[in-house]
Order: sequence, then structure tokens, then C-alpha cells
Amino acid sequence: MIKDEQIHQHNVFNRRIEVDETIFDQKICCLPECSLVRIFANDVTDTLMAAERIRQLNAELEQRVAARTRELSAANRELEAFSYSVSHDLRAPLRSVDGFSLALRDDYAQHLDEQGWHYIQRIRAGVQRMGQLIDSLLELSRLNFDVLRFRTVDLGEMAAVIISDLHAGEPHRDVNFRVADDLTTEADPRLIRIALQNLLANAWKFTATQPHAEIELSCTRRDAGLVYCIRDNGVGFEMDHSDRLFRPFQRLHGEQEFEGIGVGLATVQRIIHLHRGQIWAEGVEGRGAAFFFTLSPIATDGPDPADEKTGEPS
Amino acid sequence: MKSKCVLLVEDNRDDRELIRLAVKKANLPCKVESVLDGAEITDYLFGTGIYHERDLRMMPDLILLDLHMPKLNGCQVLQVLKRARGTSGLPPVVVLTASDSEQDVTDAYHWGANSYIRKAVDFTQFVESVRQVLLYWLELNVPPPVGQTVTPQLVN
Repeated sequence: MIKDEQIHQHNVFNRRIEVDETIFDQKICCLPECSLVRIFANDVTDTLMAAERIRQLNAELEQRVAARTRELSAANRELEAFSYSVSHDLRAPLRSVDGFSLALRDDYAQHLDEQGWHYIQRIRAGVQRMGQLIDSLLELSRLNFDVLRFRTVDLGEMAAVIISDLHAGEPHRDVNFRVADDLTTEADPRLIRIALQNLLANAWKFTATQPHAEIELSCTRRDAGLVYCIRDNGVGFEMDHSDRLFRPFQRLHGEQEFEGIGVGLATVQRIIHLHRGQIWAEGVEGRGAAFFFTLSPIATDGPDPADEKTGEPS
Repeated sequence: MKSKCVLLVEDNRDDRELIRLAVKKANLPCKVESVLDGAEITDYLFGTGIYHERDLRMMPDLILLDLHMPKLNGCQVLQVLKRARGTSGLPPVVVLTASDSEQDVTDAYHWGANSYIRKAVDFTQFVESVRQVLLYWLELNVPPPVGQTVTPQLVN
């Protein structure tokens, strides 16, 4: 038996040979003083085949992931195009119903009794509602076609303009709107305005039964990022239903109670997701709602509005 | 005011009827003739096919053209008209369509449309847009003078 030390002191050669599809790693140790050559042969066929198989599987997996990603984004694009064209094509028959029912109302009024007149009004109301639905769907499907254009936007200023517009529409409402200072961030101004518009209009709508409504836009730092919050003291909602809030055409309140078609929050969620942010809601039935959202990390560049309010060092 | 003639190119029966209704409600003295697709309008304008006996001295004052139609679509019709325009004064063409794709707007103007109007779903708005279009193109706009003896010809 040759000891390890002996081998180290002498010439050692490694080679790999293939004999009848079996692969051997050979260690050839020459010990001239003993006129000896020792050859250690190790059958590595299985090890090599296993390594090759792993390499192949990895490559296959990568290809499959890439292919699935391509398929998924193609399917997404197709779905977006589909929902766009469906909502677009729905307009044509709706135009017929709208036009002919209006012609019936205006030109054949003398032939209609009270009940007939009532039916026409019902048709007209249905048409109006479907028109709104289609417009909202179109708006929702269009959000995907847009490429985000990041600009510096002041969310507080934007929110104040939206609130003053809402107030102009219902000047008798007593609504106290509070907004934190310096809510400057990086976002797509057009899209973020749509999101704020929807959130604030919701807060406005669901505080309608409050004699003294409170709506607040604030910003705090949680974990690594900034969290914006729009809070109101309106009718709120049951937390059990909070997962339904952001799905299109879901409504947690009756149509008689509060108007709306249930697309607003789905739109907001899509906009926030396009900004690589998160959105969630907290509420208590009868005691107000709060909607929290974050924007992408790019949004935390520049002046940090949370620092002043929370007093944390940056 | 002299009664004018509007030629409507529209494959959708409801839309044809709604546009007639809108013209009526717009209360402007004009008559509406309609053809059903892009192939028929070229026959109408150039006196070919089923219109081979039509008096070509009677040209419509305005063409209201739908974009998405079978056979020849609106843009193909515009291309035919653009090629023929050199030989005669063909009427102005207003594209009246439900499409709001930017590509359609670009293509329509590229091929020589004189205006592009979107069909509103709300019929009251629709009547108003038809009224304004007709008022502009039939009454306010002064068309270029046309040689009386020239009749339009298809140019290949």
C-alpha cells in the first residue's frame, strides 16, 4: 500500500478515459524509486451523467420559465385588448337603444299612456347606467396601454383641487378636509390623479350621511417605505368583506344607498400596482374607512415628507 | 336655402336609421342617400356596377363615411377618392365612426378625410354633433369651384 505522503512527493497524473461507454477518472502515481506505477481508477459515469442531467434540467427549467412568462404576458395583452374591444363593441347596440328609446319618448309621447312612459324612463335609466359601466371598463382596460411617465407631483395639492371640485358640486356639505404638508413624490401625474380622484370621491360619497364629515390625507413611514392614507369618518365597511373591495363590479353598499358601479377601487388598485405599490383598506362598519397605499421605491427619492411628521431622522 | 344631399356610407342598419333620425332632428334642409359599404360608394360616385345608369352630374354635397365596413373599409374608400380627386371636385368626406383608436384617426387624415367625428353613445350628443357637422360642411364652408363638365373618373 502506498501512503498518501509518498504520492505527494512523486509525480501524480490525472486523466479521464472512456472504456465501453464507462468513464473512469484515473490517478496515476509514478514512484520511480520503487519502479512502481499505481493506477487508481474510479468509475464516474453515473456522477457525470447525473451532473449533465441536472444541467439539462436547469436549462429546460429556465427555458420553460421564459416561455411561460412570454405566454403569460401575451395572454395578458390579449385579455386587455379583448376587454377593450368588447367594451368598445358594446357601445354600438347601446347607441341604438339610446337613440330609438329617445325617439320613442320625444316623437311618440302622445301614443304612450303613463305606464308606457314609465317603461321608456326605465329603458333610458338602464341605458345611462350601462353607458357608465362601459366607459369605466374602457377606462380600466386603457390603464394597461399606458406607459408610466414619472414626474414630481404634490399629492396634497392634487387632493386639495379634487376636494374643492367635489365641494363645488355639493356646496351644502360640511366636510373638513385635512392634508399633511409636502406630499411631494415621483409618480405618473395623470394616473395618480385618477387614483386620488376615485379614493377621495369615495370618501366624499360615503361620508354623505355625516353631519360633520372628516376626510384626511396623511403620510407615515412604516418599515422601509412611505405609506399614504386617506381616512374618512363615513359609513365604513365590514373588514370581513375587505378582500372584495378591489374587485371590479363589487359593491358593499346597496345602489339605493350610494351611487356607483364598483369599478373605482379596481381602477385605483391597478394604478397603484402599475406604480409597483400596494393598497389595502381598514374599516369598521359605521365608523369610517381608511385606504392605505404605497408607491414604488422610486417614489421615496427626493424630499421625504414622512420625516417631519414622524420626527424620525432620515 | 337650397336642399343639399348627404351620402351616407354605413353598413350598420341601426346606425343608418339613427343618422337619418339625427339629420331630421337637426332640422336642416338636406336629403340623405345611403350606400351599404365601401364597394357600393365607388359604384355610386363613378357610375359603375348597379349605379351604371346614375346621373353623374348629381353629386352629393357631403359624404359621411363609416370606417369599419366589409369589402372596402373606410380608409380604402378614402384611398380610392384621393386617387380620383385629381380629376374632379369630389365632395368633402367626414369620417363618422365609433372607433376611438388613434391609428384610425391618423390613417383617416392621412388618406384625405376632411374631418373625423366620433359617434357618441348618448343620442342627444350624437344629434348635436351631426347637426354641427352638417351646418359647417353644407352651409358655412365654401367649396372650391368645380368645372361643370368634369365628371369624376376612377384612376388606377
